[in-house]
Amino acid sequence: MIRADTIIRILRIVFYVTLALSSFAALACIGIFFVAVKDLPRVPEPLIRIIETPPTEIYAATGEKIMVIGGREYIPLSRVSQHFIQAVVATEDHRFWEHHGIDKVRTLKALWITFFTPGKVQGASTITQQLSKNLFFSFKRKYMRKFRELLVAIQIESQYRKSEILEAYINQIPIGVGAHGIEQGARTFFGKPASELTLAESALLAGLPKSPTRYNPYLHYDRAKKRQWIVLLRMVAVGYITQEMADSASHAELNLQKLPARARTGSYFLDIVVKTLEERYGPEIVHHGGLKVTTTIDPQLQSGAIESLQKGLIELEKMMGVYTQTIDSTTAMITHPQGALVAVETNSGAIKALVGGSDYSETEYNRAVQNNRLPGSGFKPFLYYAALEKLDINPATVFVDQAVTIPVIGAEDWSPRNFGLKHEGPMVLKRALMKSVNSVAAQLVEKTDPEKVIRTARRSGIKSHLEPVYSVALGTSGVSPLEMASSFATFATGGVKHETFWISRVEDALGRVLEEHIVSGKRSLDASFVYQVVDMMRGIVDEGTGSIVRRLGFDLPAAGKTGTTDGYYDAWFTGFTPTLSTSVWVGYDKGEGLWDTRGTGITGGRGAAPIWADFMIKATDGEPHREFVIPSDIRFEKIDPITGYKANDSTLNPMRIALREGQNVYENIVGDETIDDSQTGLPQWLR
Amino acid sequence: MMDWYEPRDLKEWAKRLFAVRHLVLMLFILSVFISELRFDWFEQTVGSYLVTTNSKRPESGAIWEIGHRTITARQTLDKIVTDRQFLQREARGATTFTQMVLNILPNKGVMLSSEHFRKIYLTLPQTIAHKIASPFEMLRLFSDGSWVRTYLEKAGDDLKIYLLNANNRVLKELEIPSDLIQYIERVDMALTGTLEDLPSFENRIYSAAHFFTALRSLPQEDLRSVVSQPEMLLSMSGHIVRVGISDEAVSGFIELGFEIEDGTRRKVILLQGREWAVWTLRSYLEEKKGELNTNGTSQNNWM
Repeated sequence: MIRADTIIRILRIVFYVTLALSSFAALACIGIFFVAVKDLPRVPEPLIRIIETPPTEIYAATGEKIMVIGGREYIPLSRVSQHFIQAVVATEDHRFWEHHGIDKVRTLKALWITFFTPGKVQGASTITQQLSKNLFFSFKRKYMRKFRELLVAIQIESQYRKSEILEAYINQIPIGVGAHGIEQGARTFFGKPASELTLAESALLAGLPKSPTRYNPYLHYDRAKKRQWIVLLRMVAVGYITQEMADSASHAELNLQKLPARARTGSYFLDIVVKTLEERYGPEIVHHGGLKVTTTIDPQLQSGAIESLQKGLIELEKMMGVYTQTIDSTTAMITHPQGALVAVETNSGAIKALVGGSDYSETEYNRAVQNNRLPGSGFKPFLYYAALEKLDINPATVFVDQAVTIPVIGAEDWSPRNFGLKHEGPMVLKRALMKSVNSVAAQLVEKTDPEKVIRTARRSGIKSHLEPVYSVALGTSGVSPLEMASSFATFATGGVKHETFWISRVEDALGRVLEEHIVSGKRSLDASFVYQVVDMMRGIVDEGTGSIVRRLGFDLPAAGKTGTTDGYYDAWFTGFTPTLSTSVWVGYDKGEGLWDTRGTGITGGRGAAPIWADFMIKATDGEPHREFVIPSDIRFEKIDPITGYKANDSTLNPMRIALREGQNVYENIVGDETIDDSQTGLPQWLR
Repeated sequence: MMDWYEPRDLKEWAKRLFAVRHLVLMLFILSVFISELRFDWFEQTVGSYLVTTNSKRPESGAIWEIGHRTITARQTLDKIVTDRQFLQREARGATTFTQMVLNILPNKGVMLSSEHFRKIYLTLPQTIAHKIASPFEMLRLFSDGSWVRTYLEKAGDDLKIYLLNANNRVLKELEIPSDLIQYIERVDMALTGTLEDLPSFENRIYSAAHFFTALRSLPQEDLRSVVSQPEMLLSMSGHIVRVGISDEAVSGFIELGFEIEDGTRRKVILLQGREWAVWTLRSYLEEKKGELNTNGTSQNNWM
């Protein structure tokens, strides 16, 4: 039996300890309170100040707004759908209208769960606390931060009416895909103002702030729908709606907007625009300065480019037999080929469409700009131009397609091979380019000099580093699709080079001009030599390695060049009409070649040219038939593509070539099979 | 009042614990607690206190940082725009080519209307204007209405002028080399000074009478090679008092400076003469000078 004095002693200890602890706790609370208050942030007055950041707006060349950075569209509570207000309150803080910043009952419940349910952490932040956190604090989990957030919430409750607090809250919550605040959210996701949101739409949007990425309906529609259902159930529980209304709303169809203006999805182009702006003006001005930026992009061409590239990559995968295998309920990791497409307006250098990969949401790496992949034979037009300019040759000059070995000082001899590993003997230059014959290209670069080829590429617009080796003429230095499209545009304009650009005008929020692009072309290549190359490149599209373009139905005058690298790692097609130059690249990001199901390598003609054709058919729809400008000193002759002699009635498959003033082709007067080199206009070194 | 003492036994503890006074106190505490749950008076007190200290607290936290960044961004933008507008204003206010060029900083070009640039072009002496652009070409562009604006920018020491259409496409690009710019500057400067202000003339300054006497001794057909635009000199008010010949020849030309006295004002008109013709004239001038020296009637200089 415990004696009374023992109990008294215990009671005494408990009493004094409790007294001491309470006093200590009280003092500690007072101390912490004053410490916390000391650095507590000032609450702005009025709370509307939160929307003062002006947005930076980016426009397409057509005037369509394509992106908004920062900024808020503040709207009063009266212009927000009642459904949304109820959905937010029911989901986030159903006792919002009753408490004074802290929901004590919910907090006690949360504490109980956090402390006594292993592995569970329950939150109990009220709308005011969330507003306090969003406006002033970082998202680091610290007790002092939480306490300060609580104090600011209490102050906000004392300083503002409930309606003002809720108004501020719904105007700043992150909804997802770049939208902040309900007005932007409603317009971004449903293309309507917040006042017109239905119950289903409200429930969907009210569920997003918890995790805008995780519940992004564009990427995870099912998750977003589940979250919508939870919101609807909360509304039923709080008594805002009936179960029937919730059921009906959950089955209602959601008409999500296509390609939201604020979304980053599919915006490889916007990436380079924002990057350029940040480099020129600094991130502060871009994100907080409220710029009005007019770009060069044509939304119709851009969506056509995305569509063509995605469609082309699907076709390519089919050709290659790439599909996602499901083995024992587990999905095998399959890598997919990638692609890029850039379209440049030839007479200005303006980028009209740019796609840097198959899907921006999966990979943000911009292959159109950042990728330096080997262009292969796609580089040959620069070689042919350099050769025409330097050597005394013309498109009718005969070369012999044969095995060649070129000695290289200080290195191994260079022995390039043709793609088909076959040689066809004599042929004229135009035919050699049309068939992309490497042995002829090798002979040309040996006589022309790699440095001269590089200078031509530079004059055309190639900026990447190019190795001064013979093989540079066969595209063994990496370039980007943007460079290819831009440099081929110089051929399209008859040798006038325009600097590529994507921003045409920048203004501040008050409309004062900060910069405007001046479209200036410089003659960098000779018009007549250019025309001869363009004419040869037309042959590629009409009858050569790129003739699939014609078979697919593209019938406007066009010139282009295919490119394929060893091991079929890269497949290119870069081509142009007089108005638009487009480059398409397809390949794997790393270490894999493109092979079809039969084990045959996929060339630029098979892999990239169909994408080019599909895009160009859409891009030039309704355009008149426009020929390339023919310089006054150019004349045309029909020749025998093997002998280079002027064609006559007995010539099989005569070929049309472009000759400059003073250049001649000769008639085969003798009529026998002997080619008299001294009469064909061949330079001495070729005889 | 009795002093507090510690209860000595359990009974005493119980008695004290359940004393009316203590029960009332506990009920009071409980009611305070319940009323706090119901009326949030504690939060309201703390909130009211915080509201009173609000203005003294720092502008810190995410929203204020965004605000500060916005202000900084606006100020930077304002500066960029103001600088640009200042240069534009200055350039638009320029009445001479030199004034216009002075307002063009590296990497900061200026935009003028075609009308304004045309006026400045017309202020240039004909020979210089022809070097910059053919007046017929300018006339063609101006008359067809496509030339709307003119953009000027520095390219190293040279000046580039772009005649633009409404879509900012370059209709004509003009490049003015630095030596021509310097020459134009000198022409502008000479308009309000004397020959001594132009160092290239300091070794050869002659009186007008001596110069024209020597000029007369040249063959008739060579006169225009020395003074290409006598009409221009004739059109000037005042009379020519001195003539300077530059020491430097540029691109086959030598500069001549004609100092004109007009009341109390003096000004210099610069013209370019063909190098060979000016050399011939110079030899005449030097010969004459030698003769006079030999005759013992020479002056210290020819002024």
